[in-house]
Amino acid sequence: MSVLDVLDRPDVISPGISACVGCSVELTLRTVMKVLGRNSVLAIPPGCMGGVGVVGWDKKSGAEIPVFFPLLTNTASMLSGLRLAYKRQGRDGIHVVAFAGDGASVDAGFQALSGAAERNDRIIYICYDNEGYMNTGYQRSGATPKGAWTSTTPYGKLQIKKDMPRIMADHRIPYVSTCSPAYMKDLVEKVEKAKRNKAGFSYLHVLNPCVGGWGFPPEESIEIARLSVKTRYFPLYEVVNGEYHITVDIPNPLPVSDYVSRLKKFSRTSEVALTEMQELIDQQWQELKALEQVRVNGA
Amino acid sequence: MSHVEVMTGNQAASTAACLARPDVIAAYPITPQSSVVEDISKAIAEGKLDALISEVESEHSAMSVLEGAALGEARTFSATSSQGLAFMYEPYFRASTLRLPIVMAIANREMISPQTLWASAQDSLSVRDAGWIQYYVENNQEILDTILQAFCVAEDKRVLLPINICYDGFYLSHMSERVDVPDQAQVDAFLPQCYKPDHIYLDPDRPMAVDPLTNGDLLMEYRQKHLEAQQRALTVIEEASEVFCNLFGRHWDGCVEAYKIDHNTKGAIITLGSMTGAAREAIDRLQSEGLPIGLIKIRVVRPFPKTELRELLSGIRAVGVVDRNVCFGWNTGIIYQEVLAAISGSPSIVHQPFIAGLGGEDITIEMFETAARQVVTLAQKKNGSRDQETIWLRSVSEEVHK
Ligand SMILES: Cc1ncc(C[n+]2csc(CCOP(=O)(O)OP(=O)(O)O)c2C)c(N)n1
Ligand code: SF4
Ligand SMILES: [Mg+2]
Repeated sequence: MSVLDVLDRPDVISPGISACVGCSVELTLRTVMKVLGRNSVLAIPPGCMGGVGVVGWDKKSGAEIPVFFPLLTNTASMLSGLRLAYKRQGRDGIHVVAFAGDGASVDAGFQALSGAAERNDRIIYICYDNEGYMNTGYQRSGATPKGAWTSTTPYGKLQIKKDMPRIMADHRIPYVSTCSPAYMKDLVEKVEKAKRNKAGFSYLHVLNPCVGGWGFPPEESIEIARLSVKTRYFPLYEVVNGEYHITVDIPNPLPVSDYVSRLKKFSRTSEVALTEMQELIDQQWQELKALEQVRVNGA
Repeated sequence: MSHVEVMTGNQAASTAACLARPDVIAAYPITPQSSVVEDISKAIAEGKLDALISEVESEHSAMSVLEGAALGEARTFSATSSQGLAFMYEPYFRASTLRLPIVMAIANREMISPQTLWASAQDSLSVRDAGWIQYYVENNQEILDTILQAFCVAEDKRVLLPINICYDGFYLSHMSERVDVPDQAQVDAFLPQCYKPDHIYLDPDRPMAVDPLTNGDLLMEYRQKHLEAQQRALTVIEEASEVFCNLFGRHWDGCVEAYKIDHNTKGAIITLGSMTGAAREAIDRLQSEGLPIGLIKIRVVRPFPKTELRELLSGIRAVGVVDRNVCFGWNTGIIYQEVLAAISGSPSIVHQPFIAGLGGEDITIEMFETAARQVVTLAQKKNGSRDQETIWLRSVSEEVHK
């Protein structure tokens, strides 16, 4: 089956949700759920996707599958419990899915997430990373990059972005990957792998350009997402049973300034800061390349 | 057939939990509750209990796992104490507002600071307004019996609320007593076979959106129904006690117990939890001296059994409430305020607050004698003030600390 066939499947998310025009998170959610299908339960913690009405029931908003609000702080653990209940009933075919923001994953819900990953509970956890708390008015999060403007970092954030996919990979769960709405085939294949993963926890981290906060025209969402990959700002890779593999190689990267200059949130970023950012990106790419060489159990 | 074992309060709790055939358990260790988690884990590991346990990284996750499990139609159990309960407050409140019949034992422990490990109901009483049902029990047999009753009440369609069974840390959690343990077949006959919700669930075959953003009008309807369910629980708790008594031969008065109160009684001491044992002794002694004093043990704090309490106090002139906890802002204990609210329409009753036993301090028979004599004095006084200052019952005089 081709990726296009998957994208042709009926939407389980209702048409009327009120995300910003050009929201790449909405597109990601619709796509992910087309892959995972109706035998799923969807947890959406407080954040944009909850706020725009995905947790709903009246067919104009909401979803056609069971959907609920966990707390900002307990998405993963509520799903752990749900999984155990289904296990008791022998209903192993149900997909237990989180679609959670960076705030709900990297910050407030981190403990629950790390606990569930350490227990290797069979959950598909998708973090949509728009690099801030959008729902509450775009405040900084642990996933906001250094130098970015948010409403609580008026002169730019002072600290670097938490490298969540690597942290999750270090839990040694069966499946971790990074995804982008600009690379749909890659994204669909990764969600399919998570869907097939019966061995335990799957963590997918999606970098989602956000019209509401980052400062770019709505029609550029996908282009911005593509630039984040082409500059190696957000490399696309997966970690299967501990083994790293870059899924979209970027042999000739664009300079990060090509990405940064497109976003208002970086408008106060100095030359020095930009150089630092480029150095961090180069460093992280090298690390990734080195990690790709490591084979588990000498395989 | 049942059999007799010598067991701690924590063992009574884990034994009852196992007998209730839960599907999913999640709990995080904390003194003085820890052995409950250990014993259940062991029972599962040894194949004695067919259930799933989640080895969670915190109490916050323990409660969250159980909420997920209950939404997946599982019968669930947990146990905690003090800081653990405080840490789980966010999902704790939500368990009741989602109307999930989770059963959780609480080995009551004082809240820090200062750093402490010992008994006080400060932890669970501080969250009495989070929509749960709360039982407070007196001895290890009552722990076991009440946990079984709690599953029955929680899952009753007239109630559908989570329940705490609170027992004093160390005094009960670590003390060994003789406990009559029913056999599995008896318990199976008492409890519903499994938890099968039709009000809230997550099931791809029956899609439901759980907890969408809800307007105030609908929220008010939910709250009203929640409060009504709490009131209905007063009856359901009594019924569960009766049915339990018929099957097992042990009777725990549903929500309040009167001890040695008759038409001659002029004063009453009101207690909660394990202190009741010492209070019974004190009442026996004073009654043998001819003093007209009796005892009331409050067994259920939420819902508060106001009607029953009013009836019990109808001929009484003075009550003294002994609280092992404090009510900040009122300069009394919490149960005192609850009692006051219940008897606010009875101006003839004089009431005296006592605070005792905080941080696990012993509440002695002598302290109860002191308290009871004070209550009798108030009962005999004509035109005494209704608003009495709190009396602190302490074993070491304050002078010593100066
Ligand atoms: C315990 C708690 N603290 C704070 C909030 C308020 N809150 C709601 S959504 C949110 C931010 C969510 O950010 P993120 O997960 O990144 O999602 P986004 O809004 O960006 O989609 C916050 C702080 C909350 N719901 N719960
Ligand atoms: S604020 Fe950002 S993430 Fe939220 S709906 Fe708008 S574009 Fe999407
Ligand atoms: Mg965010």
